[in-house]
Amino acid sequence: MTPDASPLLSVRHLVKEYRGTAGLWSRPAPLLAVNDVSFDLALGESLGLVGESGSGKTTVARLILRLTEATAGSIRFDGVEVFDLDTRSLRAMRRRIQIVFQDPFGSLNPRMTVGAAVREPIEVHNIAKGTAAAGKVTQLFQEVGLDPSYVDRYPHELSGGQRQRVGIARALSVEPDLLVLDEPVSALDVSVQAQVLNLLLDLRERRGLTYLFIAHDLAVVRHIAHRIIVMYAGRLVETAPAMLAYAEPIHPYTTSLLSAVPVPDPREQRRRIVLRGDMPNPRQPPTGCVFHPRCPHPRKDDRCSAEVPILRELAENRTVACHYAEEPMTAPHSQAARPVN
Amino acid sequence: MSELLRVRHLTTSFVTEAGLARAVDDVSMTLVGGETLGIVGESGCGKTVTGLSILRLIDRPGHIADESVIEYQGENLMRLSPAQLRQVRGAEIAMIFQEPTTSLNPVLAVGSQVAEAVRAHRSVSRADARARAIELFQLVGIPDPATRVDDYPHQLSGGMQQRVMIAMALSCNPKILIADEPTTALDVTIQAQILELLVDLKRRLGMAMILITHDLGIVAGVADRVAVMYGGQIVEEADTDRLFRQPAHPYTSALLRAVPRLDKPVVRLATISGTVPPATAWPSACRFHPRCPHVMDRCRAEMPGLAGVGRDHLARCWLTEEPIRSDT
Repeated sequence: MTPDASPLLSVRHLVKEYRGTAGLWSRPAPLLAVNDVSFDLALGESLGLVGESGSGKTTVARLILRLTEATAGSIRFDGVEVFDLDTRSLRAMRRRIQIVFQDPFGSLNPRMTVGAAVREPIEVHNIAKGTAAAGKVTQLFQEVGLDPSYVDRYPHELSGGQRQRVGIARALSVEPDLLVLDEPVSALDVSVQAQVLNLLLDLRERRGLTYLFIAHDLAVVRHIAHRIIVMYAGRLVETAPAMLAYAEPIHPYTTSLLSAVPVPDPREQRRRIVLRGDMPNPRQPPTGCVFHPRCPHPRKDDRCSAEVPILRELAENRTVACHYAEEPMTAPHSQAARPVN
Repeated sequence: MSELLRVRHLTTSFVTEAGLARAVDDVSMTLVGGETLGIVGESGCGKTVTGLSILRLIDRPGHIADESVIEYQGENLMRLSPAQLRQVRGAEIAMIFQEPTTSLNPVLAVGSQVAEAVRAHRSVSRADARARAIELFQLVGIPDPATRVDDYPHQLSGGMQQRVMIAMALSCNPKILIADEPTTALDVTIQAQILELLVDLKRRLGMAMILITHDLGIVAGVADRVAVMYGGQIVEEADTDRLFRQPAHPYTSALLRAVPRLDKPVVRLATISGTVPPATAWPSACRFHPRCPHVMDRCRAEMPGLAGVGRDHLARCWLTEEPIRSDT
């Protein structure tokens, strides 16, 4: 994928700090949920944002949609600074950026039929009214693989997979350009997860959608993303085309994360790296590289605990925040076949 | 190896508003000393209820059918009194769950909770129970155990809380550990730590383990043998290697092809049409028939039995004369 001259979404030096609340015996400590994050998303591209809990990935999604206000930085959508928008322009922008959440049950109104849930944004954004709106709902149901006779059902009458299809239909109802998918298949069973992933691939193809796909499951992300960005403790540690991120990860965290994913093959002979320790306390982040206390890289030294590695470009479209990026650890999947997409 | 646990015709039902749910329907399995049996399946297949039923942890409106047999070292747990049962739970067979947060008492130091578990089965002094708790914390890899015993659950990470639960489960040296989705709530890197710990402990302590999970990758790495559940029944059971190489049941092979994986080229995922049916409305005859790509008339009319399709390999399917390959 060759990105256009101007990306659809451009995030620069994004920072979100939560001010700590003072406890009875403790002073407030600020928490940097997102720390200097920059990336571009090209029109038609699918970008996978990967990280474990506490990495800041969901906060990034919320900042893009302005569901939370950023502390610093810039987000430009189609050339326009999102943080400068007034209420009216923000509403227009929200039509073009839609979000699909992990748990569709939590994001659908339990007292509203699913047909009404899909119809609501169509009417709110004055896209269609009356029978035209109803016709659009039917068409959307068909497009996401739901029986149109389900319009009169309530969320609790549908399965998890069907509810996620409703969530996707609702997001698509306003004809967005960018779909932010926040763990869209994590709550689903394997057989249903595959159905929804295939649906997302088909919709992307048919509608030319741009995806920001946020997930902790690297195998799932690999099926959707053209490019991957990896976050750890609020910071971006690696960005790479998906093919390379999986075959030749450079950052020791990416390498370890890949090696920790269980593979459904009992004969699989991978080099496994089991990271020690936990994610750092976000109120007391480590000095230097945020990953250094857990880093398994043999070259780890005093520099890693003293100096924050900057995210630097190693090759075209490849950035890594590691002092020893030139000497990456062996990839767990170096023999794995290359992806074909 | 000797037979440690022998389950026969285990049937557990629940009375629900939608009718009677036979969550577990005529399940039989055997566990020998030191082995790890993986039970895999999607939500609603009966795998968790199977685990709970083995310890008879089923409350009303649930009921384990009287004819079910749960034999632990030759003794049928179905015939034990509540007091006798308490001596088996924890001491002989212990269980850990998905959410350590909900299993731990938030207002009690974690060490006291482990000490309490020790004292429930052994008459030891408080000081000795605490010493044992510290020893157990050490065993499960909690750093600085003598200090951590005084921590409250909220002061520990999810991974550390699960280690506390494992310490508690191991407090009386059980011979069987039932682990129900022990890593599902954890991050990938922490999951790897806990799985490594479970495998290591099992080997060091010579325990047998029943690992209940939805994750085929986890069973592939940890289990010696796998039982696949669907619709409250075991539909296939085999040695782990054989199950992944030569799955005989269409559900197993479909599941294997539906999993996104890191070790194969990216291809469009195979899907299984429809969804898992509710326990109140299992389909008639073969329970997988409405979703099965190989369905025949016989599958709609008659329920297949769990029959041998190879060495130590059972499958519940009318097609099993010709096993279906998962990957070609």
